[in-house]
Amino acid sequence: MTLKLASLLVVLLCTACSREDKEIELSLVIRDHLFFPATLNIPAGRIAKVMVDNQDATPEEFDSKSLNREKVISAHSKTVLFIGPLTPGEYEFAGEFYAKTAQGKVVVK
Amino acid sequence: MFLDAVILVLQEVLEAALLLSVLLVVNQLLDQHFTSSHRVAMRWYGAALLTGTAGAALMAWAMPALSQWFDYVGPEIVNAFMQLLIVVCLYVHCLLLQSTLLQRRRRDLYAGLTLLVVIAFGVAREGSEILLYIDGIMGTPASLMPVLLGTGVATGIGVSAGVLLYYALVALPSLVALRTGMVLLVLFAGNMAAQVILLLTQANWLPYSPVLWDSSGLLTEFSVSGQLLYALVGYEATPSLAQVGGYIAAMLLIISTPLFRRCWRSIRS
Repeated sequence: MTLKLASLLVVLLCTACSREDKEIELSLVIRDHLFFPATLNIPAGRIAKVMVDNQDATPEEFDSKSLNREKVISAHSKTVLFIGPLTPGEYEFAGEFYAKTAQGKVVVK
Repeated sequence: MFLDAVILVLQEVLEAALLLSVLLVVNQLLDQHFTSSHRVAMRWYGAALLTGTAGAALMAWAMPALSQWFDYVGPEIVNAFMQLLIVVCLYVHCLLLQSTLLQRRRRDLYAGLTLLVVIAFGVAREGSEILLYIDGIMGTPASLMPVLLGTGVATGIGVSAGVLLYYALVALPSLVALRTGMVLLVLFAGNMAAQVILLLTQANWLPYSPVLWDSSGLLTEFSVSGQLLYALVGYEATPSLAQVGGYIAAMLLIISTPLFRRCWRSIRS
């Protein structure tokens, strides 16, 4: 009984989730343990596909509690991070490995 | 740097340590409580820890290549797959511990193997993040000492928390301890399933689902209690609908096992 309930819940969730329209593309560079640009502007309600380019010789971890995102980016490599859709406001993020300098925010309007 | 390292490493160690001690307690108390039960031999734990450590090193080493997979969302997919396998194996493990369908020897083997997957994959996932972090710090020699020290302290705190939980549970009457252990396993499974959903959403493999509630005003994830609750039950201030759904679905899975039911009905033989 509980097993059936569990699978039913999964199916319901999958159908309940809706796909938003096409994502916007942004780029974010990590250099000298800093984010460029330090502020990312994303329109409300849209998914942003952020190309992150880590130009440092050390790995970094993109971390944001308010965005619910956490991802390690290896040294000298690129990665993709999907953010949103979000409601208007400011969302802070940091490079967890060098949190003193690597700070940024997402501004949603 | 020292404090950053402590917080970062503690997050990783705490989850694995708590899961390990709950599995130990549940397995240990089964024999005392049900004659038809088998606990998993200790050597499986040792093998799991060794495999997990090797896996952590392998994952950290392969991370640059992994990052390129599946259009740059390789880490999310690999982590989600591992986490999903952990939940499934935890479910099968709980099924086997009270199963009467299989021969004893075969059941013991399968219970051991599922335990090995749960612990080894958990340690590999958490451990690789710690290794990557330390690797990242190598570039700045001045930070190396505080980070290594922080890693040591955090590992100490994490392991102590696991040991403390173990002895706290063992000190309880065995049925109460078993029930508490089962409740914790149910919560761990839910937490891990929610993480799978989050990882797949982050990779854009699962469609977006709305945020169900925002309790950041009540308890932020940055606070000590928030962090502790995160490690214990996967507390998140702004979970999505799919995350909460996954959490509940995985909890129901563990609750559906005979082991859970028998712990609750308190059949003494």
